[in-house]
Amino acid sequence: MSAPTAAQSPSAQALRDAFGAAIERVEVSCGDTIVYVSRERIHDVLAWLKETPTQDFDYLTDVTAVDYRDAERPLEVVWQLRSLARKADLRVKVRLDKDGPLDVPTCWDLWRGANWLEREVFDMFGVNFAGHPDMRRILMWETYQEGFPLRKDFPLRGHFSRAEQTRQALAVNPEAHYSLEELATADAYRNLPQDMRERLRRGERGGPE
Amino acid sequence: MGLIATPPDATVVSSTSPNWVTTRLDFLANWARTSSLWPMPFGTACCAIEFMASAGSRFDLSRFGMERMSFSPRQADVLICAGRLPFKLAPVIRRIWDQMPQPKWAISMGACASSGGIFDNYSMVQGIDTIIPVDVYVPGCPPRPEGLMYGILLLMKKIRGETFTDDRLRVEKLVGPDGLYLPPERVDELSEPFGNSVSQTRSS
Amino acid sequence: MLRPYIPILLVTAFVVFNAVLLLGLSHWLSAYRTNPAKQQPYESGMPVLGDARQRFSVKFYLIAMLFIVFDIETVFMIPWAVAFRSLPALSGLLLVEMLVFMLILAVGYVYIWKRGALQWD
Repeated sequence: MSAPTAAQSPSAQALRDAFGAAIERVEVSCGDTIVYVSRERIHDVLAWLKETPTQDFDYLTDVTAVDYRDAERPLEVVWQLRSLARKADLRVKVRLDKDGPLDVPTCWDLWRGANWLEREVFDMFGVNFAGHPDMRRILMWETYQEGFPLRKDFPLRGHFSRAEQTRQALAVNPEAHYSLEELATADAYRNLPQDMRERLRRGERGGPE
Repeated sequence: MGLIATPPDATVVSSTSPNWVTTRLDFLANWARTSSLWPMPFGTACCAIEFMASAGSRFDLSRFGMERMSFSPRQADVLICAGRLPFKLAPVIRRIWDQMPQPKWAISMGACASSGGIFDNYSMVQGIDTIIPVDVYVPGCPPRPEGLMYGILLLMKKIRGETFTDDRLRVEKLVGPDGLYLPPERVDELSEPFGNSVSQTRSS
Repeated sequence: MLRPYIPILLVTAFVVFNAVLLLGLSHWLSAYRTNPAKQQPYESGMPVLGDARQRFSVKFYLIAMLFIVFDIETVFMIPWAVAFRSLPALSGLLLVEMLVFMLILAVGYVYIWKRGALQWD
């Protein structure tokens, strides 16, 4: 699997040359090149892929995760990258042991679009992205208690009874978190939740950056 | 009371006895209400497209006086929930329903609004009747415009049967202190899986 | 002397009576079924955030005042023009009088101009 084949993206070999042992494995599947990276070096790898002129992966297509059917397989976090100029794709994966902490560094500093993509992975799989400016749920409501829905051990209909789910859903305040920019006006200040008022008082005026 | 014989075990619902005056007034009020039911289109998904098609020229809701969509609940008579409702949207529809003035009715359009449809999962409300009181359910995925219009005609028939002497109508059924508007067993009963969903109990 | 105005008074009275009747009847014959959510403004189903009462800049008031003054000046010129036409013998005096009037207001105009009242920002 480690010998370069004709279908393999040249980025794979370039990565091996640059990072050596951090590149655990390279795979080719249906014409796509998949590079497995160790968790410690993943941020360096992604930064290298973005900034090196020969690689130039300036477009982060997606950040997602996979929880396989076989419980012993680790959870994989997937970054789908694209170089717009070179019209080349690359898939980078990190395997996370389900017994250990599901922690991965954020790539928000490299691609701003990763903000919501990583929030979705957090919401659905419980993977925490260290250094993310706004790590909270995005698809489910922020105070969702039942867990992480797309994991394989999460039952299809959720853990709670339908009555309990309805009750919790009806009790949610849909406006609990608007961006600070929108709410920094004096009018809305009185209605803000306590933690937002704290952030405003400390001088934060906008969202991230 | 004179000409109408009431069976001995019947529940008397009206505070005043029905007579010629009240029935004529009912006829007038109900005629006025059914002839221009202004819908509040709560369209979330595919059924909204069919609703829009019903409002178009081929199927034409205008013949029922319903072409004036009211996107503010303040001026709406009937809430038409067209599409699936995620739990995240549940407080929104509840609030909009509460903000509609009486008399108000609700049409649950499509399978998802009626029962959760194909989405029997962690994120979808299994029928909006667990959240708001529904008068007419229109099945279909999505229902054809003719189906929706049949549902509207059923609602009009229901309205024509109403009387202002009935105290049980026009009651605001609010969300109770426990956070639900129905008892929890009833919510669970309404959300029960049925059909092929019954077999889908695995998590993957 | 006021006889021709009686129909107008009758119409006005009828209009007022009609309005009071409609509003009064609907108020006394209706059953109010209110609930907390109904009392609040409609914000697409979201809970209300913030207050509708906002502070207004005083610039709007200032511009309105200035407009009134110069509009009244214009309004005075119109009947003056009618009178001017019907008194050709006094045309010189009338013209001078109007020019004096406009001069007084022009002094005021220069004053507000120099004080910066016409600057929006």
